[in-house]
Amino acid sequence: MSVVWTVMKKELLDLFRDRRTVMLGLFMGPLIFPAMILGIGALAEQRARTQLESTLELPVIGAERAPNLIAFLETQNIAVIDPPADPEAAIRAQEYEVILHIPEGFAQRWRDSRPALVEILYDSSRQDSRIPVGRVEGNLRGYSRQVATMRLMMRGVDPALGEAVVSGRRDLSTPEARRGMALAFLPYLLILSAFLGGAYLVIDVTAGERERQSLEPLLATPSSREAIMSGKIAAACAFGMLSLLLILLSFKLSFQFAGSGPFEGVDVSFLAMAKLLAILAPMVLIGTTLLTLISASVKSVKEAQSYMSVLMLLPIIPTVVLLISPVKNQLWMFAVPFLAQNQALLMVLRAETISALEWLVYAGAGLGLGLLLWLVAARLYHREKLAISG
Amino acid sequence: MIKVENLHKTFKTKSGPVRAVDGASFEARDGRITGLLGPNGAGKTTTLRMLYTLMRPDQGRVLVDGLDVEQDAARVRRALGVLPDARGVYKRLTARENIAYFGRLHGLDEGEISQRTERLVQALGMEDFIDRQAEGFSQGQRTKTAIARALVHDPKNVILDEPTNGLDVMTTRGLREFLQALKAQGRCVILSSHIMQEVGLLCDHIVIIAKGKVTAQGSADELRRISGEENLEDAFVKLIGSEEGLAA
Repeated sequence: MSVVWTVMKKELLDLFRDRRTVMLGLFMGPLIFPAMILGIGALAEQRARTQLESTLELPVIGAERAPNLIAFLETQNIAVIDPPADPEAAIRAQEYEVILHIPEGFAQRWRDSRPALVEILYDSSRQDSRIPVGRVEGNLRGYSRQVATMRLMMRGVDPALGEAVVSGRRDLSTPEARRGMALAFLPYLLILSAFLGGAYLVIDVTAGERERQSLEPLLATPSSREAIMSGKIAAACAFGMLSLLLILLSFKLSFQFAGSGPFEGVDVSFLAMAKLLAILAPMVLIGTTLLTLISASVKSVKEAQSYMSVLMLLPIIPTVVLLISPVKNQLWMFAVPFLAQNQALLMVLRAETISALEWLVYAGAGLGLGLLLWLVAARLYHREKLAISG
Repeated sequence: MIKVENLHKTFKTKSGPVRAVDGASFEARDGRITGLLGPNGAGKTTTLRMLYTLMRPDQGRVLVDGLDVEQDAARVRRALGVLPDARGVYKRLTARENIAYFGRLHGLDEGEISQRTERLVQALGMEDFIDRQAEGFSQGQRTKTAIARALVHDPKNVILDEPTNGLDVMTTRGLREFLQALKAQGRCVILSSHIMQEVGLLCDHIVIIAKGKVTAQGSADELRRISGEENLEDAFVKLIGSEEGLAA
């Protein structure tokens, strides 16, 4: 045990003497991640607000055929303008998000009290058109209902007869959960930081030491290789947890600082932060042992680093899978690495309770996998080739 | 006391197996300096690595103070001080921290470590750089740090792979005196070298290795007699069979 402690202290001392690396490792994430998340959130919100509240410029083809409708639209914060010469080309060229077409027969059908057709021209593959199209459609529906009600009343019919079923909506998501939706990729950032946050340190203390040829004298001491390896893993885990703590604190501060906005009400209490840290701890262990295993099996630091691009994709898999086919939270999920972290983090951020059983499965699976990777890495540490680099 | 019996070690390479050590036997007694002399690539480093337990022999065995290296690896390591071919001094630690780290790994307490460090600093002349970080050390300072680190636990047996490699004349002289002192303390010292003069000057028992085989061994006088050459260097060249990879 004292060997583990000795090696851990030495590795941390060695690392912290390398000021620039430590600064980058510890402060880059905390500075960039909140800026990214808050920046993207603010951008999305601002975009939606301007589209919803600004005056919508709506080119209308054949405006003269429905002066009443036009007058109604203009009371709804919509400015009717002249249509372009080729409306379809204009939509394709993204000059306008939406164009309204009032066909020739409109006035005749209107007078005959038959449904009069209007056409909305838009490009459904453009995200940007969603809100303007919704606004135009909503206004048209409102106008249609208004006129229909008046027609029925003039004929002495109760307008309510026209509606057999009325549907109302009650949104039962908690405010916290609605915020959680905006946080879909926060778990990815946290899991990635936990998984690979201390990567360069891990690679350096095994593959790097081997390359610098200092592993040979180290392994010629009477200390057991398991203890030496564990000391190195412990140092990397400690560093990883410290950098996570800083990242979480930076999220806490920036979310509180941002106040209202898409992240208002995200649970950033100290208890939630402690839970997040507890959730991420097994991930730190898994990442560190996996990288130790890789570092002990490769020939050089370069070779170890080339695994990184693949490893960086691992944490994104559950996020993508859940995006494509969302599934209900189930117990087995807490045993699948990355998916488990993703689910547990979201639950905490949405201020939901994780049951004791779920915690148990989670910790058991995470620490179990860490132990398994440790055992394989320890086996590799006994290889003759590891100590010999020259 | 280190006893080597019929060591064999073969490496697999792309161009086929290479017999790095092919039946080496010799004995290094306490209170003597034993030198392995051979050209580069003769199998000296591989032989030493099997002595200090980092490599397992394919065949044969090594006894350190009567302990079998394979069966009692941990106890053997405690009885050995090792200066490997690659010095591997940690650049961001000071010389003192480098030494203390190994002291702790050998299970010494802090009092013992500082005591032994003081003694080694004096013996090796490390006073002016002991508290400097090893980044930017000269080859000599690095070697001294590595030697002090190897000896911090006061081992009975000392194995040094090419100890004077890359050192200037003055440092080499100082190191020779230091090795003589180790010998005078009754320790078993084994060193390897490809420099004939150095081995001739320093070693009581010389083991000549070529292509993984021990071609001759004995004191300088005995080797002169065996080869029938008056000049020691001529004797070496004759016993190795070639001048290639040696230095005068």
